[in-house]
Amino acid sequence: MDEFKDAKKAYEDIPIPDELGGRVWAGVCQGRANRRRVQRRRLLRTVGSLAACFALLIGGLNLFPGFASAAADIPVLGGFFQVLTVRNYDTTEGQINYHVSVPEIQTDADDALARKVNEEIQERVDAHLEETKQLWEEYREAYLATGGTPEEWEQRQMDVIVDYEIRSQTDTTVSFVVNLFQGSFNAYNKLYFYNLDLANDRDITLEDLLGEDWVEICNTAIQKQIDESVDENGFTYFFPPDKGGFSTVDETTSFYINADGTPVVVFPQYEIAAGAAGAVEFPIRESSNVG
Amino acid sequence: MSRIHEEQLTSFFVENQARFYRLAYSYLKNREEALDAVQSAVCRALEKQDSLQEPDALRAWFYRILINVCTDMLRRQKRVTLLPPEELDEGSYEDPLPADELLQRRVEELPLELQTVIKLRFYEELSLKEISEVTGWNLNTVKTRLYTALKKLRVSLEGEELYG
Repeated sequence: MDEFKDAKKAYEDIPIPDELGGRVWAGVCQGRANRRRVQRRRLLRTVGSLAACFALLIGGLNLFPGFASAAADIPVLGGFFQVLTVRNYDTTEGQINYHVSVPEIQTDADDALARKVNEEIQERVDAHLEETKQLWEEYREAYLATGGTPEEWEQRQMDVIVDYEIRSQTDTTVSFVVNLFQGSFNAYNKLYFYNLDLANDRDITLEDLLGEDWVEICNTAIQKQIDESVDENGFTYFFPPDKGGFSTVDETTSFYINADGTPVVVFPQYEIAAGAAGAVEFPIRESSNVG
Repeated sequence: MSRIHEEQLTSFFVENQARFYRLAYSYLKNREEALDAVQSAVCRALEKQDSLQEPDALRAWFYRILINVCTDMLRRQKRVTLLPPEELDEGSYEDPLPADELLQRRVEELPLELQTVIKLRFYEELSLKEISEVTGWNLNTVKTRLYTALKKLRVSLEGEELYG
């Protein structure tokens, strides 16, 4: 093996670009979105052929946890409200590939909260699509200005994904996330979480779920999980507190609600951990105060 | 544990990303392309995660995807033509590479399949069984090709070093 020592060393000296973490994360986002899209299509086909046996399907949802989690991606079949995909297309414009599924909450009667959320999602999606177009134009100019040829430029592609995922739902509440993704030279994704109580027309808060000590409960649970993430070499993706690491949750902190009712706090990529870790999630399992 | 979770898959990618990049770079010799290759391979792996049956085979399974992505890229650019199998095995080591270059340079000049065996065995330290899973060749073929590659490189290793 000694013969290969120098060769191996030269191999290990290959420099690692800074963007690598972001690109790995981009691959993760794309792969996840593509997989969900396929699953959803498959399920919709199943749903279509089973339309006459709806009751059976709903029974199935409760019986098989695996089935339920896969089915969480399809429109919810509630009487009170449903979440539907209102815009759904896969298309390529020039070098930009679009995979777009925009959700909308539809209620039996006109509902102020649903209307507000729908409008907000629509605005965010439109802004994202506009922003990615501009970004692509900027990339193009920078690429050509720094010596790239038009032929090389034409090989480049950008992926733009708008997607959503329902994390949990009951008859009157729903927790879902809208994912806006852009992947080309650099990649980023923005996650918007919605936790809605449609019976009472209000957003569900961490305080609703955890009680008045919610800040302390969250902070303790999060700090514990950060401490546990340190490996045997003392390495963790989380920044130390004095270097922009985690300090406390507040009213603006994002979260969603798990299928079992557990709130899961989410920090966007780069906020409290290295970009390579992506968006980081903390289930808050202290549940003694949950009603 | 029957199936691997998406989170485990993701942390596997995050933890080993430098290794993946280096392997991709060693084929493509281009920073942008190597980044593209890693991103594509990660994406493809997430899409096809259900095809991973054995969590223990994760490493081999992903290397296989990554190497396929790199090979496809090289092939598309016609930077490489894969040799017919018979040329990789019997006889081809009649024609060793010149010994005066650095070993790492000589590895780069090997036919692609032989490069793969060397890189996986000596740089990434995969077992022969894992290499067999990555390449889809049976164990004997892996051994033969490893031997062929070493002959071409004019490296002689003892049994234990070879198969360790």
